[in-house]
Amino acid sequence: MKIMEPNDYKGKVKPSWCPGCGNHAVLMALKKAMAELNYQTHDTAIVSGIGCSSRFPFFMSTYGFHTIHGRALPVAIGLKQAKPEVNVIAVGGDGDGLSIGGNHFIHAGRKNPNITYIMMDNEIYALTKGQCSPTSRIGTTTKCNPYAWTADRINPVLMALSFNASYVARGYSGDIKQLEKLILGGLEHKGFAFIHIVSPCVQYNKVSSFEKIKELVRDLPDDHDVEDRVNAMKYAFAPEGLYTGVFYKTERPTYEERYQEVISKAKEIAGNNYTVKDVMKQFQ
Amino acid sequence: MKDLRIKISGTSGQGIISAGDILSYATARKGYYVTTYRAFPSEIRGDGKCYYTLRISEHKALTATGDTDILVCLDEDTIYEGLKTIAPNGILIYDENIVSELKEKRDDIVIYPIPLGTIAKQLGSERSRNMVALGIVVGILKNLHLEEQILKDIELRYKLKPQAVIDSNKQALNAGFEYEEKELERKDNYDKVQMASTGAKLIMSGNEAIGLAALTAGCRFFAGYPITPATEIMEWLAKELPKFGGKMVQCEDEIAAINYALGASYAGVKSMTATSGPGFSLMQEALGLASMAELPVVIADVQRCGPSTGVPTKTEQSDLFAAMYGTHGDCPKIVLAPMNVADCFYQTVNAFNFAEQYQVPVIVLSDASLGPRRECVDLIDIENLKIINRQKPELKEGDVYNRYEDTPSGISPIASVGDKYGEHVITGLEHTEANAPTPAPEVHKQMTEKRFRKLETAAGQFSKAKTYGDEEASIGIISWGSTSGPVFEAIDKAKEKGIKVQALYPRTLYPLPTDWIKGFVKNKDVVIVIEANYNAQFKSTIVERCAHINKGTDVLEFLKYDGTPFTPEEIFEEIERVDSLQKQKSALLTNKHTRF
Repeated sequence: MKIMEPNDYKGKVKPSWCPGCGNHAVLMALKKAMAELNYQTHDTAIVSGIGCSSRFPFFMSTYGFHTIHGRALPVAIGLKQAKPEVNVIAVGGDGDGLSIGGNHFIHAGRKNPNITYIMMDNEIYALTKGQCSPTSRIGTTTKCNPYAWTADRINPVLMALSFNASYVARGYSGDIKQLEKLILGGLEHKGFAFIHIVSPCVQYNKVSSFEKIKELVRDLPDDHDVEDRVNAMKYAFAPEGLYTGVFYKTERPTYEERYQEVISKAKEIAGNNYTVKDVMKQFQ
Repeated sequence: MKDLRIKISGTSGQGIISAGDILSYATARKGYYVTTYRAFPSEIRGDGKCYYTLRISEHKALTATGDTDILVCLDEDTIYEGLKTIAPNGILIYDENIVSELKEKRDDIVIYPIPLGTIAKQLGSERSRNMVALGIVVGILKNLHLEEQILKDIELRYKLKPQAVIDSNKQALNAGFEYEEKELERKDNYDKVQMASTGAKLIMSGNEAIGLAALTAGCRFFAGYPITPATEIMEWLAKELPKFGGKMVQCEDEIAAINYALGASYAGVKSMTATSGPGFSLMQEALGLASMAELPVVIADVQRCGPSTGVPTKTEQSDLFAAMYGTHGDCPKIVLAPMNVADCFYQTVNAFNFAEQYQVPVIVLSDASLGPRRECVDLIDIENLKIINRQKPELKEGDVYNRYEDTPSGISPIASVGDKYGEHVITGLEHTEANAPTPAPEVHKQMTEKRFRKLETAAGQFSKAKTYGDEEASIGIISWGSTSGPVFEAIDKAKEKGIKVQALYPRTLYPLPTDWIKGFVKNKDVVIVIEANYNAQFKSTIVERCAHINKGTDVLEFLKYDGTPFTPEEIFEEIERVDSLQKQKSALLTNKHTRF
């Protein structure tokens, strides 16, 4: 097996993100984490939806599927269920995963597929040149809401915790070292790993800039018990700032493992050497 | 008598469908032909009416419609609805425990009021009234000798249920046999009905045939969301796929379902989904993704009345436009329309073969009159079917693999996640041969042509159009899907009356095989396009695509959109009308017609 270096994951297409965009750090952190685990390019797939961050698969040398808006998760989960032996990583933005694709996020948590989902949250729709997203702050103004934005924010970490995601972490594009650790933890985790990354947009979001986020960011306390979901929710709620680190981590059977049990049960009933000819008997 | 129609009716929840299913299996297994028609409401209990019609015959019958020989009513309302449909000398059986006196009667039929409720109650549960009634019907049809077979069928049907369920059903059937034998004063002639057993055949529903075809064609991944009348496909595959290591997953919605299937297809696994109108609408965007990213996928749409929620349990052929043109953009795909239950099997096998070979989404258009319908199917040579798998690239270290290589056939070999040296990114964005996204005008033009070229390559491979009737006929019928039964029977009837008619069923509806249609129309003075929708969707497609092919041929439409399937009688009447107008050389024919 080839020993992988972060650079081996460099794709054919040069990243199209703006200079200074938070996503560059996420790309580097993921490559490092994958190299750490020696992921092979041919048995890894990166699946995304639509948006700036969803261009991600093109910048990687693995298999990749740049799907349609909001549908990274169902494609990724279907792929993983069909071929559990490959590594599947879903990536996308806040609009893609929380707005148009929000329903799939809920169900991913409860099903617990063994995939990693990296959400790059810039609190804005950037690819369409700056409209409010489900994580935009009240009062934000854009061309679509020139006076004020009128809906409250979604809290993605709290969502993931309530939907029973089995690994929930938050990072920040300004701290690539921590990002690498959190992503590595997600890749190593058996089950649905959700990593929320606050990844500022330098072009369209002047409210949540690197400087502003840096003021808010703080590490989860060392004594935080990652198996305590209720306490994790308290930190996710925390009004005093933006906690980063691993909020929650637990292990339970994955979606694929549970389906394997279904197969065992069905095969037990059918018996060995069950063929299509046996299937036909019910119609005879 | 070579031909017998039995109708069981009542209120939703009274076990009408179970009784009908059990009787249809027993007759088929006894070696008679059977075809059925089911109609049921959307509610599980409540006032909705359920009807299960069986036509049992010595030779293959194509529809279950027509006058009823034996009508069994488990409630009062369906008695009066059904009374007029009973053939002279036919039988009405009803429960005298719930109807003390009939408000309407007929003198030319035999009426048996039977204390079904009392008999069932004595056995322990009023719920077994359906089985008691079934036992009486089997008793009446003595010379079909179904008793033993139907008891065996009870065991098969409930083999995963507790023994008590099997026993109580058998007891109820036996009580019915016994009542007929000892209590019933027979005034009818149906004990004389005999039929020759015509040997081994299969019995299945259209939905099961689609599931079976998927399994046989190598499908190992199904993702779906429950919807009437397509759910039976996912239920069947949920039971069978895991036995082969395959998977049936139930998703949060239809958008998820088709996207799961696309993910699985990218992993190299043959995959499908099945749905009906509302779900099909939700799938349209992903269908375009499959077309753009060139991923094989099969979608079965068991059509029901639309738009919107429409009439969920009733039939219509109104999704043709949605199937052909539903998703945005220039989107190559293939649309197939099976004609009957057996054809559901063969067209779904074709669907997988086409999807894999041409890397396009393939849509199978069934409908509510075909999906739940159980009927006899001739034996299938399941082990010798032609199964096509996707073309794989030869991958070596250091080689450049262009996923979308522009080839003369339009088909580019496809690598799947996990294949060494085949790494590539697929996308719904326009892309180069080397799968890099680009807005370049020349690339979009080139790749659109490449994707559509696959359909030209495919055109020669479609299964031949089915024709029926007299080639010399001057009246033609062009139709599609489940109308074939009533149309073919109407043609037979017309022949008896000296009117020659020939029908054409292209079965591949998109891309439209215009050559077949042109060839067919050439010798016809008039063509009637028959379909179950308001907009004459297929007719307008034919007229648009085949214009100026045979000046002088009138193209009429004969449409139905009340949720019920065509009957042979209706179609025969239309044939007669057209024939007489034609003979009078009357300025043809209605104001709703098109001249090529």
